[in-house]
Amino acid sequence: MADRKHAQSAAFTGRPKVDDMKSTLRRIWSYMMQEKGKFYFVLLAIFISSSLSLAGPYLLGVVIDTIIQNPERSRVMMLLIYLGVIYLFQSVFMWVQSYSMIQLSQNTVYRMREHLFNHLQHLPMAFFQKYQQGELMSRLTNDMENVSRTLNSAVIQFVTSVLTIAGTLIIMLVLSPMLTLLTVTVVPVMYYGMKWITKRTGTYFKNQQKNLGEVNGYAEEMFSGQPIVAMFSKEADVEKEFAEKNEALYESGYWAQVYTGFIPKLMNMLNSLSFAIIVGGGAVLALNGFVTVGLIVTFTTYSRQFTRPLNDLANQFNMILSAVAGAERVLSIIDEEAETTDEKEAVEVENINGDVAFEHVHFYYDQEEKALEDVSFHVKPGSTVALVGPTGAGKTTVVSLLSRFYDATEGRVRIDGKDIRSLKRSALREHMGLVLQDAVMFHASIRENIRYGRLDATDDEVEQAAIAARADVFISKFRYGYDTMLDSDGKGISQGQRQLLSIARAILKNPSLFILDEATSSIDTVTEIKINEALQTLMKDRTSFVIAHRLNTIRNADLILVMEHGRIVEQGSHNELVSLGGRYADLVSKQAAH
Amino acid sequence: MRLLLQYVSTYKRAALFAIALMLVELTVELFQPLIMGKIIDEGILQEDYRTVITWGIILVLLSFTAFGAGIVNSFFAAKASQGTGHDLRRDIFGKVQKFTGKNFDQYSTPDLVTRVTTDIVQIQNFLFLFTRIGLRAPLFIIFALVMAFTVNRDMALILLISTPVLVLFMLLVSIRGVKLFRFVQNKLDGVNRIIRENLTAIRLIKGFNRTSHEEKRFHGINASLRHTNKQALWLMEFAMPALMLMMNAVILLILWFGAGELPMGGVEPGELVAIVNYATRMMVNFSMFTFLIMVFSRGQASSSRIAQVLQEETPAYLDDKGKPGFDLEGGIEFRHVSARRGEELVLKDISFHGYSGETIGILGETGSGKSTLLHLIPRLLDKEKGDILLDGKELEEADVHHVRRQISLVPQEVHLFSGTIRENIRFGNPEATDEEVQEAAIKARIHEFIHTLPEKYETKIGQKGVNFSGGQKQRMSIARALVRDPAILILDDSTSALDAKTEEELLTVLREEKRTVMITAQKISSLRQADRILVMQEGELLAEGAHEQLLVENDYYRSVYESQREEGD
Repeated sequence: MADRKHAQSAAFTGRPKVDDMKSTLRRIWSYMMQEKGKFYFVLLAIFISSSLSLAGPYLLGVVIDTIIQNPERSRVMMLLIYLGVIYLFQSVFMWVQSYSMIQLSQNTVYRMREHLFNHLQHLPMAFFQKYQQGELMSRLTNDMENVSRTLNSAVIQFVTSVLTIAGTLIIMLVLSPMLTLLTVTVVPVMYYGMKWITKRTGTYFKNQQKNLGEVNGYAEEMFSGQPIVAMFSKEADVEKEFAEKNEALYESGYWAQVYTGFIPKLMNMLNSLSFAIIVGGGAVLALNGFVTVGLIVTFTTYSRQFTRPLNDLANQFNMILSAVAGAERVLSIIDEEAETTDEKEAVEVENINGDVAFEHVHFYYDQEEKALEDVSFHVKPGSTVALVGPTGAGKTTVVSLLSRFYDATEGRVRIDGKDIRSLKRSALREHMGLVLQDAVMFHASIRENIRYGRLDATDDEVEQAAIAARADVFISKFRYGYDTMLDSDGKGISQGQRQLLSIARAILKNPSLFILDEATSSIDTVTEIKINEALQTLMKDRTSFVIAHRLNTIRNADLILVMEHGRIVEQGSHNELVSLGGRYADLVSKQAAH
Repeated sequence: MRLLLQYVSTYKRAALFAIALMLVELTVELFQPLIMGKIIDEGILQEDYRTVITWGIILVLLSFTAFGAGIVNSFFAAKASQGTGHDLRRDIFGKVQKFTGKNFDQYSTPDLVTRVTTDIVQIQNFLFLFTRIGLRAPLFIIFALVMAFTVNRDMALILLISTPVLVLFMLLVSIRGVKLFRFVQNKLDGVNRIIRENLTAIRLIKGFNRTSHEEKRFHGINASLRHTNKQALWLMEFAMPALMLMMNAVILLILWFGAGELPMGGVEPGELVAIVNYATRMMVNFSMFTFLIMVFSRGQASSSRIAQVLQEETPAYLDDKGKPGFDLEGGIEFRHVSARRGEELVLKDISFHGYSGETIGILGETGSGKSTLLHLIPRLLDKEKGDILLDGKELEEADVHHVRRQISLVPQEVHLFSGTIRENIRFGNPEATDEEVQEAAIKARIHEFIHTLPEKYETKIGQKGVNFSGGQKQRMSIARALVRDPAILILDDSTSALDAKTEEELLTVLREEKRTVMITAQKISSLRQADRILVMQEGELLAEGAHEQLLVENDYYRSVYESQREEGD
């Protein structure tokens, strides 16, 4: 039994760091306390089942004594019925406590997940830039799962352990202080033994975790770069380096496992030892008439009931610590400040004409990094704006401010003359069609992925949008057509095809304001021309912002903004800028150099 | 599971030794109740001091023996399980190193990484448990029954009859449990997938105002996860009290029977105590069954996932040392070559001839088969039909590594490794001197940039080169290809992030050197200087010729040219 417990908690022996245990526990508590009644009910059930599990062995001893000393049928019968009732209720209450606790813990975890996810939806863009995706993912899944697993069992086990230890100790003392003394003699040995072991396992587990991480990282790097490795015939070198890391993992894993293996053996030995001490010492006492044989039998059971929860507590402590550390990381996301809510007097937007103005806009992602500096321009309704400049010049930031992923640090953005901050975010975005550089897809059919643009669109409308985006051609080549399932990691279709789908998505939305952020970068030039034709008609009466590298997309724009280091360095039409002979003209001649 | 046996057999001695030691422990545990009965019957009841002390000492000695056996077992069990894990990791890693494009189509990188890490950890846990306690539960139950029979036949009979019922009960619960937990895992995967999607698509979701839509989606799967989780956990938590109740009923039965027999001398008090003790211990072992079956099924799932990778077909020629190597001059000839990616035929009957020292351009849309064609040359992919000849000799007749050493392919997606810039460039040729590294960097037009860095060539490249721009990474990747001075240089759309001027300079340098260059690009400007351009469409070779010639002869080529020309004037 001890083996099993330990196998589960072994991974947590490397003691995790917890910053503020108290407040984290209080917050988990507050999620749980939404079902106060159930919680107290669980406690009551634990109390009853623990009391019964203490009463059981006591009565068993009495039964054996009775049978040995005075085996009168009717008396034995009565005692056995008592014992049977105790056993029955013990099982029933164990079941009741687990049943309710599972309900309680799963509801708690459900609430935490729900809260977390909904909060995530309302976090500002800046948050998502602050964290690496893998890091966030690990918090939202692994850490959350850890909390879930611990809540299921830890509460019951913890309370049961404490109750059992306390109860056993009391009963043993009442029954026979002398035998009790004999029973607790093994506790110091156990304490120091466990301390000796966990000190070692802690280090090895930490090393193992580290080595596993290295193996993981190296495998990840070499698997994704395998064609390069093969190309340069480096297989042998790479395998040799992996072997080193593998060897290190073997070494730390070996010792971690060896020392973990000691724990149940130690517990077993101590159990037997305490058994022998009680039987041996008890026999001496029995011979002198201090105790009865039945009492000795009772104590051998109690001694197990006393040492096992002690061991459990030691294991649970590590498990709980690790779950609290996980919960802390989860809660820290919930503590992130949500996107500022709309201004109180923010209004709905019926329709947008598309008159856009930036007035001396400054923007900082954080104190040090100036992303936009004094950006001003004005766009008349229905015109096309092209943003040009090197990576990091601030083009994406400009459109991000427009869709209010961020708010300007200084200055003002106006749409149809109104300050963008006086409009409701949701209302504003309802009128915008966004096509982003990384065309993300969901794990759903092509049809559903396009329909994401307008959830109530009919199948026919979806297909019309796909035709307009020139996506229809490749979709119809798939065996399942529009019902082809897509993967979120985009397996099966090319980057260019994904871009076409995301254009279809935006077309379906039929927005008043179009934003194309490098939307056609991975599409070959011939297809691009076709899409551009389609887009030209679509963009005709709507204001559009286009970020692109290729000049033919840019040259037809009504207004070209040339950006560098967060500033607009030139603005005007293609012809104006070419004749200006500045940066833009430079760019044009560079691209033309063929 | 067969795979596992095969791997464990390397550590047969350790595993068997561990199991033998486990049996020692088990034996001791089995004798303990017997001795305890003896102490009570012959010691306490007979008021015999010496028996109590003698057997008490024996009991302690035995438990020390068991402890010793357990400790030593730990070493052997750990050796068997960690050793197996180590070997599996080594072999999977080695296997993946032999993968070609065909294999990679089936696995994503995270998927493969999971198999090297998590899956193997599962297997190690299973093996460790198995060699320590795996046989314990069933053996304990059997031995306990046998021992019970030697103590008292009639009472043991009660235990014997109840055993199959309990075993069956636990088996049914476990089988159902394994199934339910698989459901839970599916739901959990669903929850995680939505979270991942939300993290990658956050701009899209915000931009399209789909927050409440996403919340509804998540709410659905979250509620469903809660439901399945409860079902699974309820079942498992039901098993324990139910089992206890059944086992306790058996104990009551034994007690009732014992009480009846005792006055008639059929049962000794010590025997009764011993049998009750066996029964209680059996209960613990029954509950262990569930746990073992869970671990076993998880281990099995992992094992079959690993087996899948190890059984992937990889080209045998990678290990074939028998073939001759030959030195390349740079001639490349394709004769009616076809190739597949998965089911799809992506190259159809391609024939062309490139001469040593030529620059050959390839133009085509995404998915036209350009990359596939290029990857056939260093055999990173294998053709289905036709012949590929290098300098007139069959590619397949040559030692593949020897051929690869003379070819450099720069793939579309740049992949740099963590390490310094120098280490990354030198990856192309471990023997290259610092001068040669620098020379390659100069040719790749990246030397000047490297010199502006504070640590120059010793600058660390972060994971996948996050700290550099696309163009810089492409040029480093080209430098890495040049440092080995290949006879054939293959650039697979690997100049796309360079500005026109840099690209022009780079291509000029390459053209001047004496080597065959194959280059694909989206821009005609990158190709027009080539000696010959292959125009590809949907896996077929549409036309072949120099720029001027194609402009006249090929409509498709001209249309692409027109589309790009507008930009220029």
